[in-house]
Amino acid sequence: MPQTNRSRNRVLVDFVVLPFIFLTVALLGGLRIGAENGAFIFIAPPLVTLLLATLLMLLLVRGGLLKLHHWVGSDFPPLTNVAHVWMFITIFFASAQAFNTVLPERGLLHWLFSFFFLWTLWNNQFSSFDARRLLRSLTVLFGTAFVLKHMLLASLYSPEGGWLKRMAGTLLQGVALGTLDTPTFAASTGYIAFFTLALYVAGLILLAFSVNDDTIVVTDHQLLED
Amino acid sequence: MQPRIIQLAGLGFTIAYAALIVWIYATEPRTFKEVTTGVEVAAGTYEVNQEKFNSALNFFRHEQFRAARVEWQQADPAQRDARTQFYIAYSFYREGWGRIYFDQELFKQGVEAVNRAIALSSTNTLTIDDPDLQMHTAAELKAELEQGLERNWSDVNPLKVLRTRK
Repeated sequence: MPQTNRSRNRVLVDFVVLPFIFLTVALLGGLRIGAENGAFIFIAPPLVTLLLATLLMLLLVRGGLLKLHHWVGSDFPPLTNVAHVWMFITIFFASAQAFNTVLPERGLLHWLFSFFFLWTLWNNQFSSFDARRLLRSLTVLFGTAFVLKHMLLASLYSPEGGWLKRMAGTLLQGVALGTLDTPTFAASTGYIAFFTLALYVAGLILLAFSVNDDTIVVTDHQLLED
Repeated sequence: MQPRIIQLAGLGFTIAYAALIVWIYATEPRTFKEVTTGVEVAAGTYEVNQEKFNSALNFFRHEQFRAARVEWQQADPAQRDARTQFYIAYSFYREGWGRIYFDQELFKQGVEAVNRAIALSSTNTLTIDDPDLQMHTAAELKAELEQGLERNWSDVNPLKVLRTRK
């Protein structure tokens, strides 16, 4: 009976909970709240985020968070294959939108952030990773980008004049920040971004548990065979 | 519950959710109200607020065209009702009509509204049975509005002042 419950819960997580979490990340990743009227602003993922998401998917495969051969194959029923491919698609778009959340919307900073993300992900392709290390690395990567965009930059460009703006004003007297142009949003945008990233990381952790569970099952089989 | 049923239900539910997300990004609603209106339109349960519509009609008959348009826009926020869009176009026509000249900006907005009305009507001859109006079809109204936007030598004809508003 516990084995049956376990398998049902596993199916529920794999085919309902995980796609739902990643789709919610895809929905909220591009949502900003206008500073003036509090209106919703939906920003579709820029092309560069699709490139970043592709590199991240490769990293997830290399780090063992996505085990393609365990989830998709000619031995599985077609519905299982379709459901797993669908989950990969939701992870891809959630990843793109997670990058969209922490990338400045335009200007020089958008390209600077994109460049640093590309650099980091490209370097990571050649490092040795396991699922745990990869999760830690991604949490730090998104956490740092969140702090930079939603705390430091938001404070710098706040219309009311945040603490950083006052500091920068004193330090960089006479230097224009025009080239670092970035739109300002309501404070709630930061909260939405935090929730989105937390949900994304939670989804990846759940995925890691799911993958580990998978490994255990395989090991049990092997043990039985032995 | 069988795992296969969970798989199927999960797939169906998440695909519907993904379709909703794509629709949200395509239509870019600005408020929760716009989201719910859009969902009503997609589900086929959208209806015009009849009370607001009647209130607007009252304003229209008292020649308070701007007030009428505000009410009609609230009655049909998704701009999905051909009849309401026809009346909005008519209000632009009546407000923009002048003996000496027609207000080009109002007439342009009138053309946009009547085009919406034509696009929304299932048959191409949208007819409104209202005795207060002199033009009862969207085609007539469109022709009148477009004629008002055209520039030609008849514009300098002094007898123009004798024409009447429809």
